[in-house]
Amino acid sequence: MDFNQFPSMGREDLRDFKKVIDNGFRDFSREFGESIELFFEPLLRFLVWLEQLLQATPWPIIIIVVGGLAWLGSRSTKIVVSSVLSFFAIGYLGMWEDTMSTLAIISVSTIVCISMGIPLGVMMARSERVQKVVTPILDIMQTIPAFVYLIPVVMLLGIGKVPGLIAVCIYAMPPVVRLTNLGIRLVEKEALEAADAFGASSTQRLFGVQIPLALPNIFAGVNQTIMMALSMVVIASMIGVAGLGVPVLRSISNQYLALGLMNGLAIVALAIIFDRVSQEYGSRLQKHRQGTQHD
Amino acid sequence: MSVRKIFKKAAIGLTLLFSSNIAIAECGEVVLAEMNWSSAQFMAHVDKLILESGYGCKVSMVPGATVTTFASMNEKNKPDVAVQLWTNSIRVPLKVALAKGSLHSANDHPISGVTEGWWISPATVKAHPELKTVLDVLERPDLFPDTEDPSKGAFIGCPAGWGCQLVNANLFRAFEMERKGWKLVDPGSAAGLSGSMTKAVERGNDWFGYYWSPTAIVRKHKMVKVPFGVPFGGADNWDGCIVKPAQDCADPKPSSWTDSVVQTVVTDEFKKKTGSNVVMAYFANRIYPIDALNDMLVYMTDNQFGGSDAAVEFLLTQEAIWTQWVSADVATKIKKSIH
Repeated sequence: MDFNQFPSMGREDLRDFKKVIDNGFRDFSREFGESIELFFEPLLRFLVWLEQLLQATPWPIIIIVVGGLAWLGSRSTKIVVSSVLSFFAIGYLGMWEDTMSTLAIISVSTIVCISMGIPLGVMMARSERVQKVVTPILDIMQTIPAFVYLIPVVMLLGIGKVPGLIAVCIYAMPPVVRLTNLGIRLVEKEALEAADAFGASSTQRLFGVQIPLALPNIFAGVNQTIMMALSMVVIASMIGVAGLGVPVLRSISNQYLALGLMNGLAIVALAIIFDRVSQEYGSRLQKHRQGTQHD
Repeated sequence: MSVRKIFKKAAIGLTLLFSSNIAIAECGEVVLAEMNWSSAQFMAHVDKLILESGYGCKVSMVPGATVTTFASMNEKNKPDVAVQLWTNSIRVPLKVALAKGSLHSANDHPISGVTEGWWISPATVKAHPELKTVLDVLERPDLFPDTEDPSKGAFIGCPAGWGCQLVNANLFRAFEMERKGWKLVDPGSAAGLSGSMTKAVERGNDWFGYYWSPTAIVRKHKMVKVPFGVPFGGADNWDGCIVKPAQDCADPKPSSWTDSVVQTVVTDEFKKKTGSNVVMAYFANRIYPIDALNDMLVYMTDNQFGGSDAAVEFLLTQEAIWTQWVSADVATKIKKSIH
């Protein structure tokens, strides 16, 4: 037995093995590609509509809305002022349109991730079996290199916004699922017992006790999901999503330091605004809870 | 030509008289640049096999890329040979180096039929044989609806940051494509560009966009390159406007794509070395027909092989091509070594 050479399956077999998978996927994409694309059609229309809406809205209105949302979320003048200032800087440095495209795809991605992630997290918290199945899938989603799943996504759906959104969600959804699961599992037994004692149904228990008490954790998950979605902006641009990632790619291949930095920092600015606002909102929820405990 | 052939045969006959060790001393060491794309890797490996078994050279390879390999050859005389150098992006400095004599072209056209430009999918050609030129295609944006805005036709351009992105964007303006109902789509990356083409072709859909050859994908998908239908608009228009960013090109004129130039380039030091003249003669004869080269690239992608496997396959199956590059004696030696 030769222990220096690992007994591999042999080049021919390995090649055939790879070809079977490749051809299998190609046939699948030929067979179902059109219908999968049709399925995503409404999502695409919504994405295009939102992008056009954001780009067509006069900039003062966008800035007022941004400031308003920041105030609603954080109730902090400091955060509102710095959000508004960063949007002024972005516009002044000529990145307004790209920023609007990025905002559109990130908002829709976040909505999709959350609306799929929170129910999944709830199911994981309620069933050990679901948790056992879903956890390794989440591990794969978070660690598999993005370039690997870009290949099948592009073969199925081509280039553009929807494949970009799927790529973003594969990477960005796990935190909200994990933290929803964790938050519900961390709800104190006493609270649940009390709910049971009052004769709450399972649905009442979930929506009246578990989810409200888990909200700070769920919000931390939402916050992480938004941050990770923003970090995928450049990868999404590699499959034809317009936005701040495109100039970053251009600056990578041409060594345009300033262009890369400006657009990179615009992504950071968006991330910090989203982060501070959602964190403040999350901790306000927590304060409220602590307040009731002191009563 | 015949005198040169006789001379070459005499030189090879002389080397055959001596032992193979002397033959190695004759040719010596050759360092080839192995570029980071498949067709160049394949060509480098074919050269390696032929030079080693046919001419007794000792061949090694170093990884390379267009700009870096050119700079290293120009400044440091290493590697000896750039097998497949795309000279459009280094046209000016290369001209200087060739004039100065620090680099020499061993073959101005190692591939017959190198080309880049605008291509449409075979399904489109079949359904609409009347689309003969780019001008015809431009009248039919409805055939290539954009997914995000189906009222417009999608023209898939070059990924952000590539030199050809500027060219495509300026030609897009020159042909007034926006007015004709087109949208210039940025595919984002090489994978995005080839992926969008593959997806369209495999479903039998219409596709219109930029690509180049030699590449496996245009051969595999039987893509059809459409002539522009306008003549080349002159060097002033191309070099002074089309290749520049939009703000430096206020008024681009319609033009066909400039000739893509691929050369085999050697360093001065290598050319002056004793014994390199046989190698130089080989390089001068070595011309790949584009279809044969693309077939080998398809073979590589189909089997997920690298350049070295494909080079052996090429020598085994395409004797008609490569035996024209070398003398009969050398060909016999090569055949002996691969069988």
